[in-house]
Amino acid sequence: MAAVETTVAPQAGAPGMTMLDIAGLNVSYPVYEEEPVRAVRDLDLSVRSGEIVGLVGESGSGKTTLARAVMGLLTQPGRIDTGSIQFDGKDMRALSENQLRAIRGRDIAMVIPNPRSELDPLIPVGKQIAAVARAHLDIGRAEADAMALDMLKAVHIPDPTRRFRAFPHELSGGMAQRVVMAISLVCSPKFVISDDATSGLDVTVQAQVLDLLRTLVREHDTSMLFITRDVGITAHFCDRVAVIYRGEIVEFAETADFFENPQHPYSVMLLAAFAHNPALRNKWHKPLASTEAEAGRACLYAPRCVHREDECDERHPDLRELGGARHLVRCHFPVERVA
Amino acid sequence: MRILRYIGRRFLFIGPQLFGIILVSFLLVKLIPGDPAVMMLGPFATEQQIAMLNAEMGLEGTIIDQFWIYLQNLVQGDLGTSWQTTKPVFDDLAIRFPATLELVTLSLLLALLIGIPLGVAAAYFKRSIVKKFSDYYGLLAGSLPDFWLGLILIYLFYTIMQVAPAPLGRIDFAVLPPAPVTNFLIIDSLIAGNWQALWSTLGHLVLPVVTLAVINAGPILKMTQATMERMLESDLIRYAEMCGLPKSVVIRKAFRNSLPSVVTIVSVLYGFLIGGAVLVEIVFSWGGAGQYAVQGVLNADINPVLGFVLFSAILSLIIYLLVDLIYFAIDPRIRG
Repeated sequence: MAAVETTVAPQAGAPGMTMLDIAGLNVSYPVYEEEPVRAVRDLDLSVRSGEIVGLVGESGSGKTTLARAVMGLLTQPGRIDTGSIQFDGKDMRALSENQLRAIRGRDIAMVIPNPRSELDPLIPVGKQIAAVARAHLDIGRAEADAMALDMLKAVHIPDPTRRFRAFPHELSGGMAQRVVMAISLVCSPKFVISDDATSGLDVTVQAQVLDLLRTLVREHDTSMLFITRDVGITAHFCDRVAVIYRGEIVEFAETADFFENPQHPYSVMLLAAFAHNPALRNKWHKPLASTEAEAGRACLYAPRCVHREDECDERHPDLRELGGARHLVRCHFPVERVA
Repeated sequence: MRILRYIGRRFLFIGPQLFGIILVSFLLVKLIPGDPAVMMLGPFATEQQIAMLNAEMGLEGTIIDQFWIYLQNLVQGDLGTSWQTTKPVFDDLAIRFPATLELVTLSLLLALLIGIPLGVAAAYFKRSIVKKFSDYYGLLAGSLPDFWLGLILIYLFYTIMQVAPAPLGRIDFAVLPPAPVTNFLIIDSLIAGNWQALWSTLGHLVLPVVTLAVINAGPILKMTQATMERMLESDLIRYAEMCGLPKSVVIRKAFRNSLPSVVTIVSVLYGFLIGGAVLVEIVFSWGGAGQYAVQGVLNADINPVLGFVLFSAILSLIIYLLVDLIYFAIDPRIRG
């Protein structure tokens, strides 16, 4: 497995320095009397200070598991087997629960989908924003309320003074999503993880919310890991794009480079699906890999790959640098653009 | 105000609901074998005497006639007379219902104090001793009969250790009871400023209250634990954890969101215990409403039974109204 930017010594806050550095991360979910399910495999990923990195993959590819692992909040019975997670120079795996609690919501904030089921139905939304501010900043009730109101204004909620007292069920999906953004940004975190945050919204609302998120993140010089199923969104949103397949990064490149020169067959497939090109899409229906044992030796994507060769079944490809400027791909036979 | 409209609509339905309840219970009570006139007059009564007494009690003619007579009396506030106590049923119940309510209310309050903290702790600390203890407690409380526990407590604390008063009613015979105002002895003692009576009343309440509380804390604990466990795994709480809210805030949030099911189980227990505490009432010679009704059933004394059903029905309706008001208070989604 190739080392990705682990050479840079993390230095808090400085621009261009590594904010989040994940190396060799393995997360698995034990299954009763069977092999554990490996949700994240030997994953290397780094996000520099002020950078937005997109993480694209289908459902079940380990995107959310990765986000939870970073927060130290894996769902039971998931566990981190090996690997390191460095955040802002701190080894997240070595921190105590209370130390993590102090970082969550303060330094790393999460923007989540389905805000209607995740906001507290019994508390006015303004108070929920203020509660997070009060939990992390040394401020009084009045000051926290004022901050919450400012955040509601910052996320462009109409009539913020009235909405401050509104309950989540009184808000539309788009507005609830803005409240969640207000909650995540109220403490001016260094790092935001957006986990499929806009998947529940109408396309037009989605575009507004995303625009706002990007503006706010850029304004505060916050780094972001932007997790999505929609490869199209990453094009005008992210500095770099990583593609994850069955817990493995299969391609990682600068956004422009990725869209111009995708090299992994799976990336091509994602882009084709996004572009509604049926000629490529029709070849999606291939069986999934037969067993985990076999998958350990073979390329995980081989069973679905249109360019599958014998070698793909025999040897698991490493993530290697190809095509210049930090374009990483995990494939024996990277695709090339036909002129 | 939506809440006022809601309460108004509830009151509209109370009349028809009560009529239905009275009709059904009247018919059911009539199915109990035994002729009250025969029971009252004894084995040597003549046919004529029996017929006369039945007419006097409004128990002649078809069942519909009898029901009509009962309803007419009821509207005038006359629930009939119990031939066992020879007193109007209303007067009897006015003493006995508060006796039961005092017992049941205090028991449930204590049961809440036991069940909720244990349930919350067992849900939060999944691999702790508290969780083990709660599991066994729930099992035991569900399987032990309450009257048996009452007898054990009497044996331990009255017979052996002699710290509890004799299980003979609500107050010492030697103590002058306070002037009856509400017939709740605690309240009446306070009104009268009769501290001796208050002390004696509280002393007599301890064992039966503990008995009922220990048993009924079981379902409250189970309900709290189950709802809390579900709540702690919910998106809501996971998000609260992601926001790094303090542990105490997270637990309080989960509990507040679990509260509706706890309120529900308490209201169900309350309605149930009005009659369901009867075995404990008998063990402690409490003279409560449940005991009164059971005596009525056993002796074909139908007026106490009907009176008890009516009182319980009204009480249940009040409890359910209160429960709805509590839901209104805690959940903004219902308030709308």
